[in-house]
Amino acid sequence: MIDTIYIEEEIANHPRTLAILKRFPEATKISCQRYGEVFNSKAQNFRLQKKQPALILARKHKGLALPSPKEYAIGAEHNYYFSHMLNCLYDCRYCFLQGKFQSAHYVLFVNYEDFIEEMQLILNQHAEEAVHFFSGYDCDSLALEPVTDFTNDFFPFFEKNTRALLEIRTKSTQIRSLLKRSPIKNCVVAFSFTPDKIARALENKAPDINKRLQAILDLQKAGWQIGLRFDPLIYTKDYAKEYSELFNTIFSKIDPDLTHSISLGGFRLPKDYFRKLEKLYPDEKLFASPQAEEKNNIGYPAEIRHEMLDFCENIITQHVPAEKFFPCHDSV
Amino acid sequence: MIHLFCALPCEAEPLIQHFKLSDIKEFDLFRIYQSKDKEISLTTTGIGKLNMAAAVSYQYACLKTSAADIWLNIGVAGHATLSLGEARLVNKITDEHDDTSWYPQIIFNSPCASTNLITLDKPSTDYQDALYDMEASAFYQLAIRLGTAELIHCLKIISDNAEQNTATVNADKVKKMITAQVQTIEQLIDCLKPLSAEIHSITAEPKHYQHFIEKWHFTKSESLQLSRLLRQWSLYLPDVDIMSLVADNKSGKTVLNTLRESINNSEFAIHD
Repeated sequence: MIDTIYIEEEIANHPRTLAILKRFPEATKISCQRYGEVFNSKAQNFRLQKKQPALILARKHKGLALPSPKEYAIGAEHNYYFSHMLNCLYDCRYCFLQGKFQSAHYVLFVNYEDFIEEMQLILNQHAEEAVHFFSGYDCDSLALEPVTDFTNDFFPFFEKNTRALLEIRTKSTQIRSLLKRSPIKNCVVAFSFTPDKIARALENKAPDINKRLQAILDLQKAGWQIGLRFDPLIYTKDYAKEYSELFNTIFSKIDPDLTHSISLGGFRLPKDYFRKLEKLYPDEKLFASPQAEEKNNIGYPAEIRHEMLDFCENIITQHVPAEKFFPCHDSV
Repeated sequence: MIHLFCALPCEAEPLIQHFKLSDIKEFDLFRIYQSKDKEISLTTTGIGKLNMAAAVSYQYACLKTSAADIWLNIGVAGHATLSLGEARLVNKITDEHDDTSWYPQIIFNSPCASTNLITLDKPSTDYQDALYDMEASAFYQLAIRLGTAELIHCLKIISDNAEQNTATVNADKVKKMITAQVQTIEQLIDCLKPLSAEIHSITAEPKHYQHFIEKWHFTKSESLQLSRLLRQWSLYLPDVDIMSLVADNKSGKTVLNTLRESINNSEFAIHD
């Protein structure tokens, strides 16, 4: 799976680095001073690299947890996101990471202890208030779990600090590490969904929706709280039929009491990311969708966006109470 | 196209013979050879970074290159322990002069193992656990300005090591070593060709683009819009005859409007 591993000199002897290297005895190891030398180098082609991404082990120095926009909140006043990884095992055509990064290599920041220390500082800043921490902005939180051991290191912090809530955003079915332990009340495992036909067309290498749904059912059975993320909503001529089927499938099976939150938002990308993706995948239908430019973003025209959001919102609110529903009504 | 760069004539000769390349007489600052179908070129650069940088620039100026081209620096190198004649792809290039490093992207199953390389300003017999040459950093630094990183590589064949140093190297030995690794070079090119084809496919002009540009006038910004609309057309309305639709249009602007209107009026399905 991973043939090449770049290792920052600074963390070459970090225990997590050594443990990961042990898993890949055959991989070619290449030392570098800073991961940006490899990851940020220009002239790289994301589409080609996605065929055989390398793993880069690095140390995150700054910006370990950053404030996240209010429109993405799920009920708290104070919201932060953090990324122990950059890039994702899957190859979803709508993913903004393809536009954000020069490289498709996976960067893993091995200094989890510094992330946790930063989170503690943030919690201290907001004494006695709820703080939400989102994982899965720059990566899929669980897709590389057997390698990263992410949950094992981060969960104890949240077990100790119950006013902090952790959202783990994923499409992965790598839930063994969660099922092995007692559920954590202040952790939400949030699965992203698009309808089956759209997922087949756009979510390359990701588990199909039935497998994701099975993972949800297994987690709920074990007592874990689940989030449902219908973001991005993808337009197609029969979107109403496709999304109705998806909602029916999901809401007929899941336990609403163990469903923490549901959010949705239309497909939109910063303009320069969109243009880069259009160049990388000129024959991709998604980038030929009806589109409008607004405030330096590209997304669907307002009438399509509002129609889809209203349609989905109408169905979702029949299944979950309003306090669990968090639509993202931002402009494109 | 494939562009090969060798510092020495004795490194180039086996490749010139193998790929049946002929000297292009019109270029005389550096010797450039090319295959009959113009798909492969080889430039002999001379020793050292300055020569290599100048040769890569010269070759780029002389031949029409594209983002889909493959760029290879083939040559001999020293190493402390590797056996003479072994081939290595380079996965890290460090310029000893300023300690800058570059990381060639090996995203295919390489025909030989890969290792790091140090480019020196002067020959040295102070062997360490790295390849040593005198050109690769200049080659890579220039080539990544002209091409796509994943298609730019250095393949080195061990000519000397701690037991048999540079004093034992001569042109005949080098020719034999390169000849013995021609198969590896062929395999490397075979690994890179599908990647090059993919870049070609995404950078190529959309169908009918040239015809439109010749028939109507488009400003630079309109040309970009045309390119985008033609691509959208092939996705939305692949079975509709585009040429008959726009045949009566008098200007580039009206062509764009006609295309846009037809696309906007068609149904969009993201899946089959």
